[in-house]
Amino acid sequence: MKEKILTLPTPYGGNLELYKNVWGKPGECLSIVSGLQGDHLNGLFLNSQLTQFLDRICEGLDPHYTLTGQVQTFPVVNINAVQSGTRLWPLDGMDMDLAFPGNSQGETAEAIASMILQHTKDSFWGLILTSAPPHYEDAPHIQVYKSDNSVKKMCRDLKIETVRKQKEYSTQKVNLFHHWQEQEISSVMISAGAPRTINLQQCENLFQGILNFMKAEGILKDHRNKNSENKGKTQIYKHDEEILVKTSTAGIFLQEVEVGSYLKQGQKIGEVRDIYSGKRLEELTSPEDGLLITLRQYPIVYEKEPVAIILIAKKSWREYFPWNR
Amino acid sequence: MQTQRILSIKSPLGPPVEILKHTFPAQSNKPRVSFVAGLHGDELEGLYICHKLIRYLKELEVSNPEAIQGQINIYPAVNPQALENATRLWPFFSLDVNRTFGSGQIDSLAVETSQILLEDLKSSSEIVIDFHSSNLQLMELPQIRIIKDFEKKLLPLAKKCNVDLIWIHPNAEIFASTLAFNLNNAKTPALVIETGICHRIHPNAGDQIFNGMLNLLHETGTLNIKLDPVKEPKLVQSDQVKMVQAYHSGLFIKQVEVGKFLEEGERLGKLIDPIEGSVLKEIVSPCSGLLFTLREHPLVHKGSPLARIVEILRKK
Repeated sequence: MKEKILTLPTPYGGNLELYKNVWGKPGECLSIVSGLQGDHLNGLFLNSQLTQFLDRICEGLDPHYTLTGQVQTFPVVNINAVQSGTRLWPLDGMDMDLAFPGNSQGETAEAIASMILQHTKDSFWGLILTSAPPHYEDAPHIQVYKSDNSVKKMCRDLKIETVRKQKEYSTQKVNLFHHWQEQEISSVMISAGAPRTINLQQCENLFQGILNFMKAEGILKDHRNKNSENKGKTQIYKHDEEILVKTSTAGIFLQEVEVGSYLKQGQKIGEVRDIYSGKRLEELTSPEDGLLITLRQYPIVYEKEPVAIILIAKKSWREYFPWNR
Repeated sequence: MQTQRILSIKSPLGPPVEILKHTFPAQSNKPRVSFVAGLHGDELEGLYICHKLIRYLKELEVSNPEAIQGQINIYPAVNPQALENATRLWPFFSLDVNRTFGSGQIDSLAVETSQILLEDLKSSSEIVIDFHSSNLQLMELPQIRIIKDFEKKLLPLAKKCNVDLIWIHPNAEIFASTLAFNLNNAKTPALVIETGICHRIHPNAGDQIFNGMLNLLHETGTLNIKLDPVKEPKLVQSDQVKMVQAYHSGLFIKQVEVGKFLEEGERLGKLIDPIEGSVLKEIVSPCSGLLFTLREHPLVHKGSPLARIVEILRKK
């Protein structure tokens, strides 16, 4: 199952080795990539859980399931960063997700990017597992650039309620996700948790979601006749339905809410206190009712920094008619 | 000289993070030229050139203010926190500010900073010069790199800058998030001058570019001064550039210096295995030509660039 897909010699005699896990017969394939950033550990852990689960099925140790499709996982992409315990590899300081499509003859990051793309470009489905940016925590959600029916179905099948439809900027054209979209792979990015931490509950929920997705897409058969669940409601938030709550002072930010909670307009998110005097400098509140999708974790903040991202569902004009209320 | 803060952000510990802009007001309406340095906090060559420009222009303001015919703006340290930490990236988020231009949503201070800088430059410049050094690994001869799409507008300006070479190369998607690309896209001509290596200052190269900047200001009519002619740069197309890469990981021991004219087969250095004590390969030039990039950092992985050479065919 574990397959070495790239070996690069290191200057001091060892080898840098890139692996994937693969199960099932060749065919329509689901690719799951994690560890593009060295500090996104939720995805690494989730991929390890999936590996254990799929290994047991393929070894005949789980009588409830049969793998009917093909799955491949890439648990660690930015190997050097994971080994360094950092987001980026200190030697090149390069964001791995700005290295695609890569170059098989290029430097380490380019060679890895090229190999990952080469192994995933023919996939039918793709999942990229990430966490929030440094110093933030994300409630589990899906990020997409387009929201056609196939993407909506994916989100429902993954049992993740919140989808952020983001604008694609020029900066994202060197991301793995962009290249998957160009290859017309049905793919989404799943973000959950904070960097440098593993949230077991979030990972378990996402694991169940991916299981459900595999059942719904016919990749996995459940002999207990348990059908996949696809009745969950998915709310897609457009780019203009996101509100950033920013500081107007600098100091220590103390949060008073949990990420993933629904906030009422005017509800307190937290406050900023002066480091030297301990005095409260400002109180940050939610400007509207909405879902707190991202929250600042690291307490030291500068002025004008976002401490929260809130998703607000704008009403469609149809909802204003009384018969639609 | 007038000094303005284009950005001031309160910091948790007191002193604000500020980006300063020095302006030398014009005596007439000649083109406004802006100079930017320090976008990467470990690249100091540009800071040295800005220092020389500020010093020169301050003296000129006293001795011959009429000479300043167009407004000159100098942004000597645009990534203050990275500069203070001598790091390439914005330290708090490990973010390359020169990969944040053109981002839509202002979701971090780095993006906010890049947006403010971009807008300020667009509103106060007809020409922008963005100074860079190379990264930790490579040493570069003074050069200007121009994306092919912008060649027509930029090449005449680049020729006035006293650099050793002008490299015209195809566009790549990664450039779309840089300051210069976004300025050029917005019809404000922006030249990227690359020289030396990060963490170091090479005064000779800095002086060469400083003279080039005065020449550019003179040729555009922004400065009315007398100058000696500058050197004619070598124009280089991408197919003339030969890159030498490490075929194996190890330590690269250089045996030449950047700027040398090499013969085909001439030795550049050697790749050694520090653990086994063996020489893995003698690295030689694949062609005759000018060595304009050379590896300084010995630690190399397979595929790492070791050298770039402009192929020049000598007449027999």
